[in-house]
Amino acid sequence: MNVVIDGKTIEAIKGETILECALRNGISIPHLCTHPALPPFGACRICIVEVEGMRGYPTSCSTPIAEGMVIHTQTEALRLLRRNILGLMMLEHPSACLVCERRELCDKYRPKSEKVGATTGCHTCNNKEVCEVRELSADLGLAEIMVAPKYHYKPVERSEPFIDRDLNLCILCGRCVRICKLHQGKSVIDFVHRSSQTHIGQAFGKNLHEAGCTFCGSCVDVCPTGTLSDRYAKWFGRPDAEIKTTCIYCDEACALTIYAVNNKAVMAKGLYDHLPVCVLGHFAIPEFLNSPNRLRTPQIRVNKVLRPVTSEETVQRCAELLKNYTGTSFAFICDTSSTLEDRHVFKKFTQEVMQSPYYFEIIPDKKGYAKVANIPEEVKAVITTGLFIPQEYRNRFEVVIALDIFPSEWTKSADVVYPVATFAETSGTVLDRNNQLRPLVKACNPPGEALPEWSVIQQIAKTISENWKEYTSVEDISRELGFDSAKLNLDRSSAPPASQNLKERREWFKGHCMENYVTGLVAVRNFEEGNPHEEKTSIKIEVNIPENPEHFTVLSRRELVPNTYEFVIYAPAIARKASPGQFVIVMVDESSERIPYSLSDWDENKGTITLVIQEKGLSSRKMISVMEGERLAHVVGPLGTAFEIKQYGTIAILGGCYGIGAVVRLSRALREKGNKVIVISEARSHYMAYYEKELTAVSDRFIQTTIDASSGEKGHAIDGLKRLLQAGEKIDLIVAVGCPFMMMITANETRDTGIKAVCALNPIMLDGTGMCGACRISVGGETKFACVDGPFFDAHQVDWDEVRDRREAYSAEEIQAISFTMPSTTIQGEHHYHQCSCMGRG
Amino acid sequence: MIAEDTMQILYERAQEEWSKIEKNTLPVVYVGSATCGRAAGALETEEIIKNLLIKNKKYATFVEVGCMGPCALEPIIMVQPSDGIPICYGPIKPENAEEFVRRIFLEEGVWEEKLIGVMSTDEFHGLPPITRHPMLAPQVRNVLRNCGLIDPENFYHYLAQGGYRGFLKALDIGADAVLEEIKKSGLRGRGGAGFPTWRKWSFARETQADEKYLICNADEGDPGAFMNRSVLEGDPHSVLEGMLIAGYTIGARHGYVYCRAEYPLAIRRLEIAIQQMYEHGLLGENILNSGFSFDITIKKGAGAFVCGEETALIASIEGNRGMPRPRPPFPAISGLWGKPTVIQNVETLANVSLILQRGADWYVQYGNENSKGTKTFALAGKIKRTGLVEIPLGIPLRKVIFEVGGGILDDKEVKAVQTGGPSGGCIPAEMLDLPVDYEALTKAGSIMGSGGMIVLDEDNCMVDIARYFLSFTQAESCGKCTPCRVGTRAMLGILERICSGKGEMMDILRLETLAQTIKQGSLCGLGQTAPNPVLSTLRYFRHEYEEHIKAKECRAFVCGPLISYHIDPERCAGCTMCAKACPVKAISGKRKEPHVIDPGTCIRCGQCLRVCPTIYSAVYRRSGSRVRYEPIKERKKKTG
Repeated sequence: MNVVIDGKTIEAIKGETILECALRNGISIPHLCTHPALPPFGACRICIVEVEGMRGYPTSCSTPIAEGMVIHTQTEALRLLRRNILGLMMLEHPSACLVCERRELCDKYRPKSEKVGATTGCHTCNNKEVCEVRELSADLGLAEIMVAPKYHYKPVERSEPFIDRDLNLCILCGRCVRICKLHQGKSVIDFVHRSSQTHIGQAFGKNLHEAGCTFCGSCVDVCPTGTLSDRYAKWFGRPDAEIKTTCIYCDEACALTIYAVNNKAVMAKGLYDHLPVCVLGHFAIPEFLNSPNRLRTPQIRVNKVLRPVTSEETVQRCAELLKNYTGTSFAFICDTSSTLEDRHVFKKFTQEVMQSPYYFEIIPDKKGYAKVANIPEEVKAVITTGLFIPQEYRNRFEVVIALDIFPSEWTKSADVVYPVATFAETSGTVLDRNNQLRPLVKACNPPGEALPEWSVIQQIAKTISENWKEYTSVEDISRELGFDSAKLNLDRSSAPPASQNLKERREWFKGHCMENYVTGLVAVRNFEEGNPHEEKTSIKIEVNIPENPEHFTVLSRRELVPNTYEFVIYAPAIARKASPGQFVIVMVDESSERIPYSLSDWDENKGTITLVIQEKGLSSRKMISVMEGERLAHVVGPLGTAFEIKQYGTIAILGGCYGIGAVVRLSRALREKGNKVIVISEARSHYMAYYEKELTAVSDRFIQTTIDASSGEKGHAIDGLKRLLQAGEKIDLIVAVGCPFMMMITANETRDTGIKAVCALNPIMLDGTGMCGACRISVGGETKFACVDGPFFDAHQVDWDEVRDRREAYSAEEIQAISFTMPSTTIQGEHHYHQCSCMGRG
Repeated sequence: MIAEDTMQILYERAQEEWSKIEKNTLPVVYVGSATCGRAAGALETEEIIKNLLIKNKKYATFVEVGCMGPCALEPIIMVQPSDGIPICYGPIKPENAEEFVRRIFLEEGVWEEKLIGVMSTDEFHGLPPITRHPMLAPQVRNVLRNCGLIDPENFYHYLAQGGYRGFLKALDIGADAVLEEIKKSGLRGRGGAGFPTWRKWSFARETQADEKYLICNADEGDPGAFMNRSVLEGDPHSVLEGMLIAGYTIGARHGYVYCRAEYPLAIRRLEIAIQQMYEHGLLGENILNSGFSFDITIKKGAGAFVCGEETALIASIEGNRGMPRPRPPFPAISGLWGKPTVIQNVETLANVSLILQRGADWYVQYGNENSKGTKTFALAGKIKRTGLVEIPLGIPLRKVIFEVGGGILDDKEVKAVQTGGPSGGCIPAEMLDLPVDYEALTKAGSIMGSGGMIVLDEDNCMVDIARYFLSFTQAESCGKCTPCRVGTRAMLGILERICSGKGEMMDILRLETLAQTIKQGSLCGLGQTAPNPVLSTLRYFRHEYEEHIKAKECRAFVCGPLISYHIDPERCAGCTMCAKACPVKAISGKRKEPHVIDPGTCIRCGQCLRVCPTIYSAVYRRSGSRVRYEPIKERKKKTG
């Protein structure tokens, strides 16, 4: 069958769609809702083409190819229409970053660990590094948003196991709905409501578990935006390695792709689009392997206490201990989660080196839990590769050598503990339930000094016996076993039972209960037991604030715009002393991080201070989940050097993000001193702009800029300033308060104007009194402490790269803290529906 | 071969039944009791008449019939004296019932004021025939042939009117000949798009499959449209006969009627009719021994407008969310459960039975070159005689408005005619000589649609009309495809902005760009036609948009935020009526001195204008440069 696509005659296959035919022949047609594993849907309308003789613009993903078709994929009309359609789609998706002129600079500069709140731009998006929407908008040249976008104000759904759902990003491509139908044969999730209320959800507001979800994670895999995200994986950005391997949680031996960053497994998913994997295969691997509880160093018992020692010492100790237990007093106990190569070495060690007949291979039961009790009485020394022997038998043994991944009562009472590699940390061959050999491929490094199991045993063997024939690699062992690596494959034709029925899942691995290491599984268990994990929500309850509240009581809390909250806190001592430009340090509870916040306003008479706080990381999330009437542990302030209020002439004050709140009092004070104050406030889009009225009241001129031009002028605050300068406005001083990126571009782009620019720096702080030095920065080559010398500095003198690097200094720890605490901690989910101040903007 | 004798017996029985009515000894009272009649109080009227007759020892036979059409005259009661010609009266509201009984039954006279006409082609005892009634005279009642005349729940009544003779003919001549007959009739889909019926049938007929389906689309959802409901309530068998013929022709074994659940009476009458068909062997296995088997199932729609779209309707029957899917493949190739499926509108099927009963040659006498036959319309808006009408295609729009509809209310100026419901457009007054046919309406930027026709006068704001229709499609968008879901909302936002005086000239350009994107990019007909009301008003009434934006002026005084209230100091006598009535105390002034409205406080509720005594008429409204002294018409909301 011949067709013509863009003037090229092409051989088409009967039954394929225009899109399939084009892609097969290297002709690219932009597309979004279609997915190779899924039936055509035709919802996004991006893949439209022109077909001669056909009316209108058919979607190439759904139109079957027919003999003699003449297809055009790249006409001017199509390009325009596609761009306009994408433009419409972007009205329901945070899109300002897609049309931002400084996008690339921002990508490089913004911190990575700010994916905590609802997503309002690319820089905080879960999907930033692998985003089909971003790629498409670049392809189609999307440069402007036609009308003001609509933000959904949906709370991020974080109460389900493993999956975060931020419907504010959803473009309703329906991939998740379709893959669920394909993989589960049912619609756990579907479209709910109609017209602009349409969203993805479960019927009748059920939670995922009630709706029949098995957490196979296929929906997360196909989501082209950051709407559905793997709660653990989302922090790590674009993976740098992708390894195909076999899952060894059970003998289904599913084929998986493990994604790694810096040799650390961060995400796993099924290898095949058409087959789901179970909850463990999809979600439980990275968190399990990266668990902070993993055994990392070899330990030996010295004076009744286990002490970390070198691997040589450990091996030596093993050899010494085992020396007297050759023959039937020794036993080796492992299970089938070790590779065939591992087990070959174990067996050989038992039989040849220890000359014992007691080599036990446990076959785990359905749940993966199996322990042995029938070890012969004569056995006095054992090597175990997991938690296989009930603790009450411990006293039977004189010597216990534990090779393991996690500590337990068993390891704690062992004579030697050796950390080992497992799963994707090692290579080898495994046998599935159909006696088919499957390859296990190393995808990441084991923690600390952990080694593959065979290699630990070989070292012991070498020390005990001189006759041990040394293997140099796993392949060596495979060869000896006669495995033909060419014949190993990952082929698979059916889904594992656990992917269809959650109850079929394994719960134990190497004798360890996985729930202890994978927090999402606790949530699954809670759901099963009818105690779903519920989020704390801010349904406004009448709070009676007493006439004489305690210090640091939150008197009012309201959401200004998504993720940004205004707090009024009772702190009379601070209110009495505060001056414009100063800040406070807040501790939410006794064990919290100390976080500096600029003072937005204060009232000496009422004894209150006002803070504007943005949900960015773990501590700010903790802060925003404090409700009216609750008390903060500490508020210290006012700190920092106040802004010098004097006659400057004409002052341009630029505010962005949380900085908008911080300039209110400053602007008022400067104006009262006789300065002409122009306030320029920047926001990504109209729904992120706040305090317009307050700022208009305290300035001579107020200019709102939005990056997508949906409210006020287009661009960043600096663009507004540049336009002012171009129009001949004489500015004597520029003050920039906002995120480091915003202040940096303000500094860079005003350097040639000769106007003095100051910025308010907000690095990591600890004590806030100039003692610890955590907040040090370089200004004009000199080291300064932001807490006492600042926060205001000459923006043109600041070393911005250092500011960025220092802010990023603890991002790995932050990510670690957030990802480990998030699923298990009850975390704030904000309701934007009824009481929220942003209601009017929706 | 065919069990003709079975049918013969039925027809004889039908004749008997019908002659009971025709050669009546007792008077027969026909009560128009379709939903429209019921809404006007027909059942109460009937009840009162019955009770009064019993009280006065008078006897009559009562027949509940369907809708005759003239809504303004509902409830319509037709009385046939013994052995006489029926005389039609209306409106007989419950409060008129007593007088009605007195005049007609006790005094045995005629109630001239309520007389519509006699059911005859000629004058009868000096009474005008109903065909001469100005609303009915220009009409040709083919689809509505039995509506209002027969008892829709009486199977024999339909038979007596020649019912099922079309189906018998179809069995007689065979499927190919039926297809030829339909082709010759030039029948086009009455659901709106006007796709030639025979083409659809032949696609499905030619497709090889073990199972084929026929669906009757009774998911009438246009606001204010009730053509299909009237047919289903007044003459369900005519539609079911059409289904039999269509099913037979394409080779279907199963038929579905997809009817919205908001039509309970229509569904009940369909159920009764289907039951009767089974009882008399017109449905089920081997119908009339012809070898043709057919079943009909009623599926109730849950009221989503989009389910009128073929593929969404199919999804809904299959038990899925009613969302359209892209075509091709077309339903005629792969439809319900993946099998060839033909979906026809109620009116199309009612036409099919008629074409087979009377022949294509007879049928083509109505209509013009490309649009054959007749079309029903739900006539509404600023028109004197609203109601359900049926006119031959091709007659000028003007004739429909001024002859059938009797012209504009209060003899104002007609501004435009909106056809095709929310998918259609507005045709301006200058174009009223346009023939009512598929091509001409499309060319004018509107569509035939399923038959909504709303007449707009100078008191209608065209921007507001566009906004209204768009708000409907926006709310009914299924949410699947981007252009329709997001685009309609974006357009609606702009229209709302313009109507509230915050528009800018760029908005017109934005509307046009958005409209083109939605039209070209949407998945289904709902989206593709959703911008039509905006595009057609932009085409013919652009000046109104510009007035709203530039001069902040709404010439029709509809868009509230563009209207301000003032008191003419020359006229105001200081009676204080307005100040007392003002709910926000925006009016100040001393007694017997001219009053003033504070524009900042005024909420534009219009209360002052309503209470200002007509001898002064001092309160006036201003919008842009226009000033209006006349009081607010409360009727306005109706077209809303």
